[in-house]
Amino acid sequence: MKNFQVAIIGGGVIGSAIARELSMFKLDVAVFEMGSDVASGASKANSGVVHSGINSPTSSLKARFCVEGNKMFQSLANELDFPLQWVGKYIIAKNEEEVRDLEHLKKVGMNNNVPGLEIKNRSEVKKKEPNVSCFKALWIPTAGITLPYQFTIALAENAAENNVVFFLETKITDLKKQKNLFLIKTNKGDFQAGVVVNAAGLNCREVVSMMEEPDFQVYPCRGEYLVLDKNYSSLINSMIYPVPVKGSGVLGVHITPTIEGNILLGPSAEFIGDPYDKRTTNETMNTLFLEARGIIPSLPDKAVINAYSGIRCKLASPESGGWADYRIEESKNMPGFINLLGIESPGLTAAPAIAKEIIKMISHLIELNKKNSFKSRRHRRKRFSEMSAEEQSNLIKKDEKWGRIVCRCEHVTEAEVIEALSNPLEARVLSSVKYRCRAGMGRCQGGFCTQHIVRIMEEHFNMDVADMRLKSPNSNLFYGKTRGNQSD
Amino acid sequence: MVKPEVIKVIDYTVDVAVIGGGPAGLAAAVSAHEHGAKSVVVIDRNSWLGGILPQCIHDGFGVEETGTSMTGPEYAEMYIEMAEKQGIDIMKETMVLQFDKKREITAVNKKGLHKIKASAIVLAMGCREKTRWNVMISGDRPSGIYTAGVAQAFINLYNIMPGKNVIILGSGDVGLIMARRLKFEGANVLGVVEILPYASGLPRNVVQCLEDYDIPLFLNHTVTCIDGKERLEQVTIAQVDGEMNIISGTEKKIECDTLLLSLGLIPENELANNIGIEIDNITGGPTVNQYLETTLSGVFACGNCLQVYDTVDVLSADAENAGRSAAKNSAIQKKDKKIIAKIVPGKGIRYVVPQIISEPGKVHLTLRVEKPGESSVLHMVAGDKEILKKRLAWVNPANMIGVDVDIPHEVLTSTQNLEVILVDR
Amino acid sequence: MTDERNITCIVCPIGCKILVKTDGAQFEIVGGNKCKRGIEYARSEALDPRRMLTTSILVNDGEWPLVSVKSSKPVPEEKLFSVLKEVGGTAVKAPVKSGQTIIKNAANTGIDIVATKTVLTKEVD
Repeated sequence: MKNFQVAIIGGGVIGSAIARELSMFKLDVAVFEMGSDVASGASKANSGVVHSGINSPTSSLKARFCVEGNKMFQSLANELDFPLQWVGKYIIAKNEEEVRDLEHLKKVGMNNNVPGLEIKNRSEVKKKEPNVSCFKALWIPTAGITLPYQFTIALAENAAENNVVFFLETKITDLKKQKNLFLIKTNKGDFQAGVVVNAAGLNCREVVSMMEEPDFQVYPCRGEYLVLDKNYSSLINSMIYPVPVKGSGVLGVHITPTIEGNILLGPSAEFIGDPYDKRTTNETMNTLFLEARGIIPSLPDKAVINAYSGIRCKLASPESGGWADYRIEESKNMPGFINLLGIESPGLTAAPAIAKEIIKMISHLIELNKKNSFKSRRHRRKRFSEMSAEEQSNLIKKDEKWGRIVCRCEHVTEAEVIEALSNPLEARVLSSVKYRCRAGMGRCQGGFCTQHIVRIMEEHFNMDVADMRLKSPNSNLFYGKTRGNQSD
Repeated sequence: MVKPEVIKVIDYTVDVAVIGGGPAGLAAAVSAHEHGAKSVVVIDRNSWLGGILPQCIHDGFGVEETGTSMTGPEYAEMYIEMAEKQGIDIMKETMVLQFDKKREITAVNKKGLHKIKASAIVLAMGCREKTRWNVMISGDRPSGIYTAGVAQAFINLYNIMPGKNVIILGSGDVGLIMARRLKFEGANVLGVVEILPYASGLPRNVVQCLEDYDIPLFLNHTVTCIDGKERLEQVTIAQVDGEMNIISGTEKKIECDTLLLSLGLIPENELANNIGIEIDNITGGPTVNQYLETTLSGVFACGNCLQVYDTVDVLSADAENAGRSAAKNSAIQKKDKKIIAKIVPGKGIRYVVPQIISEPGKVHLTLRVEKPGESSVLHMVAGDKEILKKRLAWVNPANMIGVDVDIPHEVLTSTQNLEVILVDR
Repeated sequence: MTDERNITCIVCPIGCKILVKTDGAQFEIVGGNKCKRGIEYARSEALDPRRMLTTSILVNDGEWPLVSVKSSKPVPEEKLFSVLKEVGGTAVKAPVKSGQTIIKNAANTGIDIVATKTVLTKEVD
């Protein structure tokens, strides 16, 4: 039975950030992820915002880790080469009454040590955001945007390069403590670990209940988003938020630019029974659009190219207001069992700071020694579409696959698809390609490139078409060959 | 075409560069060569020529043009042979990244980056299919949702079976033909769902692709929801009223593993858009004059990137016009043409191509009506003067109408708007 | 003649519903056709319906895995699936030339199956 010193359950942004932090030390670390790739849940489906820390009450864990995490992002981006832009955020007030909310937010923000907060009047906002309609707005210069899936992938792939083992499509079926070791049963076999970190997101309660009676409930809360075509990227320059809806525990429908040029509208907030119910609904899609139009009156009808949703892991019921702080704690009954509970927004921002905190907790359990071989830097190659003509020519001269465009919308080359599929996590589903090199993310939504990616999977990776999947273990793309290879 | 041995950026100079090697591009290239263009190059991003045709293995192509019914691959090979005989240069697996106002094209292929300076450019990039999100179907995002053309490519080109129990949304010809194709390959086609009160495709395809195999056609219906966390598990269909609003209570769930979308086509015009060529909001293609020249001088457009055609025969005929105009344009550097008049779609008319008249004389119009009807009259009026009157036994938005009109010089001196209208007889 | 049924005319895009009376041997037009061309179509459709068959055949060692094919003549409707079955069990070695007969007398119909595309032999690097 394979034995690890630390086993992390969950390959979301939190699990991946902890894995990366642990990979600096001389340790055997494993990450168990039930999806076909990291960032399969909420870590992929969120606004991609690096929050400033003004929205959580002073002295809460949410505020502390958000503010600390925010400060760590730039150096992490430099090391891991994931996209990050400090575009800033306006929270807009529609009337005098909402200005009081802005003042309150500013005060909380200042107490949380968020720098540079300023309330701007309408004409100042108009200068920067001519399409936005508002009365006044709170300007938050330290809010930024990233690509949440690429951030998570960067953390995980860097951890893998530093010898953390990732087990994808591996679901924990049982967890027991035997003497000093945890016995981890999965659909891919049994493992042992000295320390178990429960970073299972929405499934955190399910994991706890394998060990002990949980003293909390999870309230899944769905957020739907609409994605706008890149043609409309000039509508806004920074993030535009309304004042948070009181007593809802969420930030409200906002308009967020993305690094790729698509604008996001959302998220909605709907408490649901089934934590896997990631559907989009007609009602919400309409509401999102109308609410966004309240902020940007010139928002065009035909702009939407996609819709998706993500599920928040809330520890507070809607009746109680939907707000609860994070719980990051070692089990009292089961030493070595570390739980991260209710890590919802601003979890993406908080992840690097939470990871540091977990290292501190683990250092009390295991002796941590830094390894000299740690490779802190991960170099993301520039995309073909971002390169100069000279760079493009030189690469094509070396390998002609750089001269074969397989995604017409995003100008992604065959070489980039092969590189994406050769990732150190060995994630080989169609969405692994999409989230690493953007093939299939454009306005044709995979109409042209899918056939090329399938060919590449067959030719370069010897994959059988019957085994090709969209995004998860059972999301098969095809039913085998039409002719030959099967009895009709 | 001179091919220098450069490596960094390979330079060419040509009379006519055609972007896209589908039926429109090939017809335009052949025509440009026939009309005197000495060097013609066709640039295509695929490893084959003919665009979508090689995957359209059914017959019915070329009937109007040649009198015989060909399959898609046969029709494509006919034009490929013509192009080869004429010595037209072909660049396959080559993606045009951009072109500038001086008509210098930047393209990339496995040999490297290419700069192609063209006296005239013909745009023939074709179209792409509408996706689920163009009509905003709510629900889950499972695998098993394909546009009809993508499924067609998998089955007919790549020998890959995309599904077993299939619902098809949209009764255009591609959707109908895919119903039969899937049936032939052993799939269970559970029905074709159409939001309109009538099938969008030809009666021939309704009969030979659906009725022959007892495949149900759900008219006045649409897909309202998609279920399936991983692979598609079921769709909900519902009836719609005259305003296409869903009638609540008519929802019906159908178990299936595959949903094919045949929702229509969108002209592909990123290249034209990027350089500021004016795009007609209705056709989705560039605004053109009677020579199919766009608002950027020396750049012409044809095929499905100009407007979505019903048949390849008509498409090829228009593409020949574009090729001919491009050849002439490259031969004589003529002064900028003025816009003399605009063609305005009036009552009952959805659009007319060309949108601009820059010289008097014979003009071929292609147009679509707004709704089906019988016994109508098509008029073109310039101020109070009628310059066209044509009786039509029946009209349908799904059937493009082609009509020739002679626009006299004197009309163009007195008005700037030529209105096309449809009235009941 | 007892059996009365509607036949949708496919000669032009109007798609007239032509009402015919037929017992499979005898045939009579009741009405519904807007032009004369529909009569001949309705007769053949009522007495001896046939369809052009287009499908594909597996190719070994080809630049494409399949070659598209068609029937040399329209196939009697009731024989379509027998022909398809034979097509499904057939494989051909590249190269295949467009126009080349791949199956002679498919399913004993007297009709051949002919390639509609040229598929060259796959280049081995």
